Amino acid sequence: MLKKIINCLAVTALSLGFVSMAQAVEVGEQAPDFTLADINENQPAFTLSELRGKIVYLDFWASWCAPCLLSLPLYNDLHNKYREQGLEVVGINIDNPIEDGLDFLLDTPLDFKIPSDPDGETPTLYDVYGMPTSYLIDREGVVRVVHEGFRNGDIEKIEEEIKALLEQ
Amino acid sequence: MITSTRKITAILVLMLFSLLLASCTPVRAWERGYLAKREMAWEPDGLKSALDKHVFFSKEASSGGNSAHGGGCGCN
Amino acid sequence: MTRKNTATGRKSGPGSKKLLALSTTALALPGIAAADAPPPFSTLSYKFTNYQEDDISRREAPFGERERYDIDVHQLRLITPTGRNTSLQIDGNQESMSGASPWFNIAGADGDPIVNLSGASGIRDSRRELSIAGSYYFDNATLSASTGYSVEDDYRSRYYGLSGQTNLHQDLTTIAAGISYADDEIFPTDAELFNRVTKESKFSTSAFVSISQIINQTSTLQAALSITEQTGFLSDPYKLRDVRPEQRTQLALSSSYRHFFVSEDAALHINYRYYHDDFGISSHTLDSSWYQNLGNSLQLIPHLRYYSQSAADFYSNVDNFVLPVTENQSSDYRLSAYGAVSGGINLVAPFGDWLISLNTERYIANEKYSAYDVTQPGAGLVRYFRVSLGIDYTF
Repeated sequence: MLKKIINCLAVTALSLGFVSMAQAVEVGEQAPDFTLADINENQPAFTLSELRGKIVYLDFWASWCAPCLLSLPLYNDLHNKYREQGLEVVGINIDNPIEDGLDFLLDTPLDFKIPSDPDGETPTLYDVYGMPTSYLIDREGVVRVVHEGFRNGDIEKIEEEIKALLEQ
Repeated sequence: MITSTRKITAILVLMLFSLLLASCTPVRAWERGYLAKREMAWEPDGLKSALDKHVFFSKEASSGGNSAHGGGCGCN
Repeated sequence: MTRKNTATGRKSGPGSKKLLALSTTALALPGIAAADAPPPFSTLSYKFTNYQEDDISRREAPFGERERYDIDVHQLRLITPTGRNTSLQIDGNQESMSGASPWFNIAGADGDPIVNLSGASGIRDSRRELSIAGSYYFDNATLSASTGYSVEDDYRSRYYGLSGQTNLHQDLTTIAAGISYADDEIFPTDAELFNRVTKESKFSTSAFVSISQIINQTSTLQAALSITEQTGFLSDPYKLRDVRPEQRTQLALSSSYRHFFVSEDAALHINYRYYHDDFGISSHTLDSSWYQNLGNSLQLIPHLRYYSQSAADFYSNVDNFVLPVTENQSSDYRLSAYGAVSGGINLVAPFGDWLISLNTERYIANEKYSAYDVTQPGAGLVRYFRVSLGIDYTF
């Protein structure tokens, strides 16, 4: 009993430490590369490094994440608006079961790439802290902005950041 | 004979212990799909919870719990 | 993870995921997102309730009125984000009640108490209430302030509250605390006619603290403590003889558990509360609900509650008019030792941006259900049936 309590206190303390020794992907770092299957079985797999040379807006989303209902249609607009200029929006769906993500897309169709990661490998890789979280990656694959959460009014700021990178 | 103060202390300690023992699995942000369901909320129906509090407050002697008192009424 | 066959088909109607927004109100859910944030959408909710008490039995009330309370309640609530870091909640309630309540108890021929309901001075009253609450969201914490006003023919209440919550341990733990203050005034109807007090005041201060913990992907646990101090006129002016202390300290300890059963697609709620006050009353409350999802468009929720309280030190089931008026006594059944069992079935059905809900509850109080010693069985214990119909719109 005592051992169990000490064990739990240690785990809690460690998770506190999580914040300080986090391997979180930060601004200025190279965005970790990965390959994921698409959420649609008949679409090709996705590898991040294949988009080198483009501006990538990488978003982690789920069907159960309420702010995502707000953000995803807006990201879709951005994707269509700036695609020609070199923007690629990529929305990694972390729904498990995958069907939840597919059902969401039936109601809210999206035009950008939707890789599927039900086992949470990429959020672990990026040490994602909250849902949703997005990363704005430049043409060299370096993370320039990290967005945690999504609130009303955030889209304007994100659009400005994308435009700034596209002009560079 | 267990006095009420001792009973309260015992309950408090039990609760604290259960919380400590319970905090053993770090659940990452992307693993919170089940917790996000409406039926997993502390109070999925706010109006129902408010009315329940009011009905039980006016028909029973007890009140309180996980929130501070709202307003009064002539019902009690 | 294997890809299942999508035999289940489409989940729900268009935009119905906005339902998620309904649970993302302040203090509703622990650690859903990293940052505390205002709800992404607005929600307007309305609920109508009819509450009806059983007639008191002929045995308990051989003379006079037998009909008890019949109450209709309208509740309206709006929750809306008002900016990047703020949200607003507005509540409006209206209650209309008719019926009678116990006026005095006397001993019957066999020594058992006889209850007399308020008969000719039967109550027909309405209550209106308005409250407003605002919240400010920081990165890892939320602060809320609220105020409200409630008014009836014979009662007025003003109240204020301040509360906050913060997340720790990567949002696994949430600590919340708050204080509130209420300032009430009672001015009984027909005061001169029935020799009642004409105007009295009551003040109430309350505080709570709670800690919520995410245990694993499917379970959460919460423990809370609340303390309330009331001073002023605490007696019931409508009873022929009801004298209560001018001060009351109340303590409540509660614990809640939520667990999601993945293969059953259902959630279990268990809540327990222990209460104690210096009127001498202690109580246990245990309630449980089972939220069963049926497909993707219906949720069936059976629920059960057990409640038991001990008697107030000054409770007596027969009014003693010989005692001096300075001596505490009350025959109010709500201060007697008894137990109550209640339960029912609720229904929730989402339709796109709308949500319909139905709540039912049958409540039966009986001294035989008491977990505490009963020296004087309460006379006039209540039984009621309650049904509510609610509608929510997210936009």
